[in-house]
Amino acid sequence: MPLTLRKRAGERRKGRMFMLRKEQNDYLTQTDPGTPMGDLFRCYWMPALLSEELPEADCPPVRLKLLGERLVAFRDSEGKLGLIDEFCAHRGVSLWFGRNEECGLRCPYHGWKFDVTGQCVDVPSEPAESGYAKKVKLKSYPLIEKGGVLWTYMGPPEKQPPEPEYEFCTVPLNQTFMTKRLQESNWLQAMEGGIDSSHVSFLHRGDLSTDPLFKGAAGNKYNMQDLSPVFEVTESDGGLLIGARRNAEDDQYYWRITPWVMPCYTGVPPRGDHPMHGHFWVPIDDHSCWAWSYDYHPTRALTDHEVDSMKAGKGIHVRYVPGTYRPLANKDNDYLMDREAQKAGRTFSGVEGIGMQDASLQESMGPICDRTKENLVGTDNGIIMARHRLMRSAKALAEKGVIPPGVDPEHHKVRQAALLLPRDVQYKDGAKEALKAKKGVRQTSV
Amino acid sequence: MQSESARVTTAQEAKYRVQYPNSQRRAVKVIALDPPSAQMIDELAKKEWNGATFFRALSFASDAEPGKTNAGLNAWLNDLAGRALDLVSEVASSDFIVVVSAAGEDARSVSVIADACTAHHKTLVALVVPGEGASDADVSASMSHLRPYARMLVIAHDADYITAMLTALRA
Ligand code: FES
Ligand SMILES: [Fe+2]
Repeated sequence: MPLTLRKRAGERRKGRMFMLRKEQNDYLTQTDPGTPMGDLFRCYWMPALLSEELPEADCPPVRLKLLGERLVAFRDSEGKLGLIDEFCAHRGVSLWFGRNEECGLRCPYHGWKFDVTGQCVDVPSEPAESGYAKKVKLKSYPLIEKGGVLWTYMGPPEKQPPEPEYEFCTVPLNQTFMTKRLQESNWLQAMEGGIDSSHVSFLHRGDLSTDPLFKGAAGNKYNMQDLSPVFEVTESDGGLLIGARRNAEDDQYYWRITPWVMPCYTGVPPRGDHPMHGHFWVPIDDHSCWAWSYDYHPTRALTDHEVDSMKAGKGIHVRYVPGTYRPLANKDNDYLMDREAQKAGRTFSGVEGIGMQDASLQESMGPICDRTKENLVGTDNGIIMARHRLMRSAKALAEKGVIPPGVDPEHHKVRQAALLLPRDVQYKDGAKEALKAKKGVRQTSV
Repeated sequence: MQSESARVTTAQEAKYRVQYPNSQRRAVKVIALDPPSAQMIDELAKKEWNGATFFRALSFASDAEPGKTNAGLNAWLNDLAGRALDLVSEVASSDFIVVVSAAGEDARSVSVIADACTAHHKTLVALVVPGEGASDADVSASMSHLRPYARMLVIAHDADYITAMLTALRA
C-alpha cells in the first residue's frame, strides 16, 4: 500500500518536472488537417509562393506543400491564379506534369482538364454533353497576389477573412523585397527564434558591424555596450510586443521592440535608415517550414545597393542552391562550417550569415525540438507567452469557434521600432505611435 | 557521402538523445506584493509544484508600513501559513524570485526584495496582473514601479499565465 502511494506521487512529480509536456509539444507543432494548430493556421492568409514563381499566364505549374497538404499552383491563360490538389482525380498523376493551356491544367496521362477552382472541365473519354466533368472537382484554395507574394487561405470558405494588410505588402513594389528559404525543421522552433531577442548578442554579434544591411546605425553601439538587456513582454491585439531595453546616455533607455502577430509573423527592430525586416514561418509539414524574409522601407524605394545586397544573401536573406529555394549552406554540406572564422571571432558559431546562423542551429535541434528537456529562464518569457497564447487560441477556436488574434487585418498594422525614451516612460506609451504602421511615415529607428 | 549534419538531424536519430534529467530542481520563490495577488497565490499554492514556494510581502501582511524600506530587511515575508520569515535568507536560498503585483496596487515592497536579490545575485522576474477593472493608468503605474528592479517584466492579462509561466520554468 505505501508502495503504491509513493509511486503515484512520483509519477505526478515526474509530470511536473517537464517544462512542456509531450502532448503540449505535439499540440503546438502539428499542423496537418484536423489538428488543433492546423485548424488555427487555417484561419489566416499565409504566404504560399513568391509572385516570381508564377511569372506569367500559362507559365509552368509549381508543386508545393503547405500545412501537410500537397498542392499545385498555376496561372491560367487569363492570368487567374489557382491552387488545387496536386493529384489528378482520374488515376492520381501529379498535375505538376500538366499542360497549362487554354484556361486550365490538363493532365498529361489521359487528358482530364481542371480550371483554377479545381473544377474538372474536360474528360476526353466522355461525351461533353454527358456532364461527367461537372461532377468532378479537386479541392482548391484561393490564391491572391499582394506585395510580390501569392497568399492563400486554407480554411472554410465562409470564414475567409479580409486580405492581409502587413505594411511590407501594401507599399509600392520598389520599396519592398521578399525572399523565402526552405528550413528543414518544424515551424515552431524557427518562429521562436524570431521572438528570442536574447540570442542576438551572441549568435549574430559579428554581423552588426559588417553586414551592409545593419552596419552604421547609431543604435548599434548600445547593443555592443550592453550585452544583457532587460526585457518587457506585453500582449498586443494580434499577438505580443517584446521590448528589450538597454541603458543609453542622459537618463534614457534604448528600446528595441519586436512585434509578433499570430500565428507566425515576426518583425526585427530596425537599425538606422536601413530597410525594416522580419519573417513569416509557414509550416510545410511537421518537419519543415518556409522561412519568409521581407525587407521594406515605408517611405522610399530600396536602393540598388540594398537590393543587390539582399540578392547576394546579406542581412536576413541567404544564397541558394541554384534553381531552388534551398540555402546554399545546408545540412548536406554541414552549413559550410568554418572553424577558423569561429575561432577568430568573425562568426560566433562558425556559420556565415544571419539567416543560416539561425537555421543551422534550429535544424540541429532535430525535426521537432524536444521541449520536454528545455530549461527556460526568466528572460524566455516571450517564448513562454507566445506558446501560451497559441495554445489558448487554438483551444478557444476548437471549443467555442473564437476567431483568433491576428486574423483581423488591423492587427497586421504594427511596426517594429528602435528608439530612445526617457527612463520613466513606458514603451507602450512612449512608443505607441512608433509601433503603428502609417502610410508615408518613416519608421522610428536609431 | 552523406554529411554528418544531414545524418544526425533525422527523426530517427533524434531518438538517441540521452534520456536523463539534465537539471536539478530549482527553488523558485513566488512573492505576492499586495492583497489581490496574495489571493491568487493562495490558489496557486494548492497546485502541485516542483519545489516552488509562495509568500506574501509583509508590507501589507503585518502592521509594517507599506513601502517603509528602512524597516530593514528582516522578517519581510510571510509564508502562506502566516509565519514571518527572514527575507534575506529566503532570497539567499532561492534560485530566482518571481514577484506578482496586481495592477494599481501598492508595489513598493519590491524595492526591498530587489535589494536582497542584488545582494545575493538572484534574478527577479516581475509579473503584473491587470485583473478586472484595472485601467491602463494602473498598469502603467505598476510597470514604472517595477521596471527598475526586474530583469524581465511581464504583463499577464490572463490569470492562467502565472501557472503557465511557473510550469515552463519548472518551478
Ligand atoms: S545556450 Fe541557448 S540553446 Fe544553448
Ligand atoms: Fe537570429
